Amino acid sequence: MKVSFFETGRYVSPPDMPRDWPVPSGAYDPETGAAAYRAMVERLRYVEEIGFDWISLSEHHYSPRILTPSPIVAAANVAALVKNIKIALLGPIVPQSNPVRIAEELAMVDTMAEGRLIVGLLRGTTNEVLTYDLNPSEARERTDEGMELILKAWTEPQPFGWQGRHFQFRTVSIWPRPLQQPHPPTYALGTSAESCEFAARHRLGLGLSYGNFEIMAKSARYYREQCAVHGWEPGADHIIYRANMLLAETDEEAERQLKEGNGQAPFPVREGLREALIKADLRNVAGEKRNANVGGILPTSFIGGPDTVVEQIRRCREMVGAGVLDLSLHPPGSGDIDALMSALELFGRTVLPRIREI
Amino acid sequence: MSGLQHMVAAAGAAFADAHVEADGFRIRYREAGEGPALVHLHGAGGLRLTPAHDLLTRHFRVIAFEMPGFGDSAENTRTETMPQLATTMARAADALGLDRFNLMGTSFGAKTALWLALQQPERVRGLVLEAPAAIRPAGSVSPSGTPEEMARRLYGHPERLPAIVLPDPAVQAKTRALVNRLRGPDRDAEFEARLRQLATPTLVLFGTLDRVIPPEMGRLYKELMPECHLVLVYDAGHAIGAERPEAFTEVVVDFLDRHEAFVISQTETVIHP
Repeated sequence: MKVSFFETGRYVSPPDMPRDWPVPSGAYDPETGAAAYRAMVERLRYVEEIGFDWISLSEHHYSPRILTPSPIVAAANVAALVKNIKIALLGPIVPQSNPVRIAEELAMVDTMAEGRLIVGLLRGTTNEVLTYDLNPSEARERTDEGMELILKAWTEPQPFGWQGRHFQFRTVSIWPRPLQQPHPPTYALGTSAESCEFAARHRLGLGLSYGNFEIMAKSARYYREQCAVHGWEPGADHIIYRANMLLAETDEEAERQLKEGNGQAPFPVREGLREALIKADLRNVAGEKRNANVGGILPTSFIGGPDTVVEQIRRCREMVGAGVLDLSLHPPGSGDIDALMSALELFGRTVLPRIREI
Repeated sequence: MSGLQHMVAAAGAAFADAHVEADGFRIRYREAGEGPALVHLHGAGGLRLTPAHDLLTRHFRVIAFEMPGFGDSAENTRTETMPQLATTMARAADALGLDRFNLMGTSFGAKTALWLALQQPERVRGLVLEAPAAIRPAGSVSPSGTPEEMARRLYGHPERLPAIVLPDPAVQAKTRALVNRLRGPDRDAEFEARLRQLATPTLVLFGTLDRVIPPEMGRLYKELMPECHLVLVYDAGHAIGAERPEAFTEVVVDFLDRHEAFVISQTETVIHP
């Protein structure tokens, strides 16, 4: 089992921080932000030292919960300052960006990081459609087309035009191309039938996140079926599972910490808007309809002391088949850095050595 | 029926049927539209007008030939090579009084079009190659079989298009013999060497879902031909003009109008008050 640490920037918010998403930009404190980025680099050096395989970054906007609206910029910084660990961009929100630009920037970072880049491409969480005015009804199609264009931009040696449905370019010919050839290990992220089908068709990995094992297993199964249709069999490393973990010295302590958490989403979208977004953004798990999670609380899949968590990881591996765990250590997105560092230390000492062979 | 299915089913309704005598053949053609002449040479399946032909008539006088030996024309046992077929088609254009014209070739017909341009470059203003089959991976097999099998090869999304109606078996048999004789080897070093000298502004289009000729073949034309532009049409199969007619026509019209300057965007983004 490989293990990745999901780095979110960890901005330390004051108690009176506004709670609705989008959080007013005026509530941002530049010094606190600078401190968060400095701490991020220190933390990632520590994560590397205790033996994590990857660190991961993701694209989220307009709140202190995750301070990497451009994960590619963060990756470039990490690549320069943290020397050996692989950097997983999970990932750029494809439908709301210029796919050619994404291809270029990822190629730059892969080259600067000397081939340490891992790429996940995705449609994005529902509230993100509001950040750059993306029509949710076009998001799925734009994602598929954008991902295909990114792959083509990385691999096509001659200048080409792209006459898309949503993207049109008359001249594409990127420099640099990625250091890893033909391109970095790439994953389509999402539980939907469309993500699974795209990944299978292009021989990419699949990245699953924040569902219970049963739901994730359903998508993973559908993905494997689709890979078989396309004549190949994915390995364990082809499936990433991103989840929250609450690890403590004992099960009782973990349960106590869970209860201590207030159980509320950190920066919820207002109710009326939330309902409108759910209506506008149709989602599915392996083809079965499910409501979008709009700014809601995310489940914690691994809870307990080390023995319990190791067993949960073993069960996850059996059910989902994921070979890479991408972990957010509890409480996700919180500013309680001491608690996070303790959890990291505990994980590195008591869990990591025992899950390598799983 | 979807909008696209209607468009495909009704394609070519505005075209008039006519014949021209050339090079000892009686050659059928279909014509519509006004403007600069655009001559089209069809693929191995014969003349089949698509919604792209209809859209092109808004900008061009479109003349779609049925090459000798295809469709209901008499069996063609005389034409031995692709260059000969190209010469015949150039004479057909002569017979219609076309001195200079734009030339579009589809798949098999793209090779005919390339030969015509090689033989008489001064006559071809601009060349459009739709999913050209002039350079093929080793062991390429032409689409054949039932209408469903044909549709799966020709279309990226067969479910979005009306069923293919195949010509009767006798027509298919005589056409197959002709195509096999003329299509030439998958790679032809002498032909490719000549393409290096072809200075005609050329647009090569491939659908990203082409299951007859891999779209990666497009880069070979780009490598060989000094004035070649490659455009990938997303989500279309081999029959681009049937599957994404607006997308196909938009770029073809722009290219034939502006040649290499077609890469300069003219899309306006201003919102007027």
